[in-house]
Amino acid sequence: MDMSVSNKYKAKKIKQPLSKKMILHKIRYKIFGYNILTGLASKIVTYTILISISYVFLFPLLKMISTSTMSPNDIINPEVDWIPENLSFSNFKTAYIVLGMPKTLFNSIWYSGVLAIFQTVVSALTGFAFARYEFKLKKFWFSMVLLSFIIPLPVVLIPRIMIFTSVQSSTGLQLIGTIIPQLVMALFGQGVNSAILILIFYNFFKLIPPALDEAAHIDGASAFQVFWHIIVKLSIPSIVTVFLFAFVWNWNETYTTSTFLRGAIKLLPIQLSVFENIFGDLAPNIPGQANVNRINEAYKMAATLISMVPLLITYIFAQKQFIAGIENTGIK
Amino acid sequence: MNKLSAKSGKGKTRRDNIRGYLFLSPWLLGFLMFTFFPLFYTFYLSFNDVKLTALGWEMTPIGFENHITALLRNLEFTPAMLGFILMALVYVPGIVIIAFILAILLNQKLRFRSFFRTIFFLPVIVLSGSVMHQLMDTGSTDIMFVDQIFIFSMVYNFSPFVARVIYILFENFTMLLWFTGIPIVLFINGLQKIDRSLYEASQIDGASPWQSFWKITVPVIKPIALISTLYTIVQLGMFPINPVYTMIKEAIYNTAGGLGLASAYAYIYSFVIAVIIGLAYLILRDKEVIAPVTKYRTRG
Repeated sequence: MDMSVSNKYKAKKIKQPLSKKMILHKIRYKIFGYNILTGLASKIVTYTILISISYVFLFPLLKMISTSTMSPNDIINPEVDWIPENLSFSNFKTAYIVLGMPKTLFNSIWYSGVLAIFQTVVSALTGFAFARYEFKLKKFWFSMVLLSFIIPLPVVLIPRIMIFTSVQSSTGLQLIGTIIPQLVMALFGQGVNSAILILIFYNFFKLIPPALDEAAHIDGASAFQVFWHIIVKLSIPSIVTVFLFAFVWNWNETYTTSTFLRGAIKLLPIQLSVFENIFGDLAPNIPGQANVNRINEAYKMAATLISMVPLLITYIFAQKQFIAGIENTGIK
Repeated sequence: MNKLSAKSGKGKTRRDNIRGYLFLSPWLLGFLMFTFFPLFYTFYLSFNDVKLTALGWEMTPIGFENHITALLRNLEFTPAMLGFILMALVYVPGIVIIAFILAILLNQKLRFRSFFRTIFFLPVIVLSGSVMHQLMDTGSTDIMFVDQIFIFSMVYNFSPFVARVIYILFENFTMLLWFTGIPIVLFINGLQKIDRSLYEASQIDGASPWQSFWKITVPVIKPIALISTLYTIVQLGMFPINPVYTMIKEAIYNTAGGLGLASAYAYIYSFVIAVIIGLAYLILRDKEVIAPVTKYRTRG
């Protein structure tokens, strides 16, 4: 509203022969703009909405951080809402022990890392096939890539379990409880969100001018040489992006993973999902917690925070790659 | 390039076929073995009593028994399914529309633009099923108690159904927002591809901002809305706010006799998802979408 007053004042001072209508129009323009999206009023509205939405986005995380530093008394105390009366970091210590850190962390890193590498390689090969070659039934297979994304996981998971248990019992090879089943699926392009990874590569490879590999072909390079020396070398950024996504998605995947591992390898998110049970088993043995073996929110939130930290660090360093990666999935 | 393909016409298509399938083969094998075959096998399983014996998997055909058990005898599955359907019908449009609005807001010259975008994308990275479970379990997502707000009880007196929809929408409003991460990025990307001159042209022709929004922005964005909707439907299913997945998983673990029933669960669930996706497709498919855009283009 200040704006309108100063505007009127200015208009009078200059003594332009402006009609009342013109002045009103000018004020209107300043506040509302020509478009819904320009002008001061909409700027204020925009910022208000964005800031309050951001608050709602971050609310659970802030609440998590606050709760994780509370002592049992603070949690019971109804007067303590956000800031605990006495900060206690013992929750983290307890959660750290219950989660089985740092072993669980290393397990999660290598497990997701290995699966991510395989997924990246296969997605690149598949994306390259779709981006470069006109083969028979290409459209059909491409729509199958998209279909494989839409199909609910349980439908395909049940026969997958049967396949691997059958192979295990007929060959005597231990498969359930190891990384092998998921490794095989990743190797054959059926890992977590493989379709999206293929799409990222597909769209990126389409941007590389085909003249480059045509030229190499004429010079006698084989298809794999072209792929390796030209396409891969030019696509390092998108390879990094796909790897990061595959890593994070494998890390966060618990449905398939817990079905195949059955707790044999302790991974961070899975340990978190059964935190209550492990806590019950371990509490009497945790130093200093012998008489406080009642689980409370503070422990759970401390554990959640711990399990999130590796991803948060990844995100802080690679947020541009992540967002650009999704932009690259593009729309045909 | 044209010269080349003209010269080696047939040879090139044959080479393309071989090379294409060569690069595709790992995925193709995996798809056939781990996705295509299971798709039909689960259907077959759902009509069987599946047992794990010392000799391997043993199947006895039992007709529709599993489906009847799932829908009628098990007292938890049908309510869970209905709950999920109602939630999806509220959440999916809610997520897509909110993502679209946020994308429009973020698609202008703003200070801290990338800061906001970073926040909105954060859940895509940190959210796993177990994190969501813990956050919801400890009440960390309860930003407000909808049923304690005065207006809510007024709406409830007016129409319990509307009140239920509002309750679902705001009960876990944060969780709803947390699913907008990827749709927002897709929408921003789409909005940036719209030719600015289209708006100018329509303005000269006397269209109001509101009109150009509906006639230019919305049609161009519709295919992206469809993809975002599909993505959201798929994602929604995979998190603990969907009780059905957990039920299926429990049925899978119960290998003594559960796999047939689990398959029936899985197929009923997939059928519902297919219907929801079909619905989304009917609403968001391209109809006369191209017409207005090309019209403006030729004029400009």
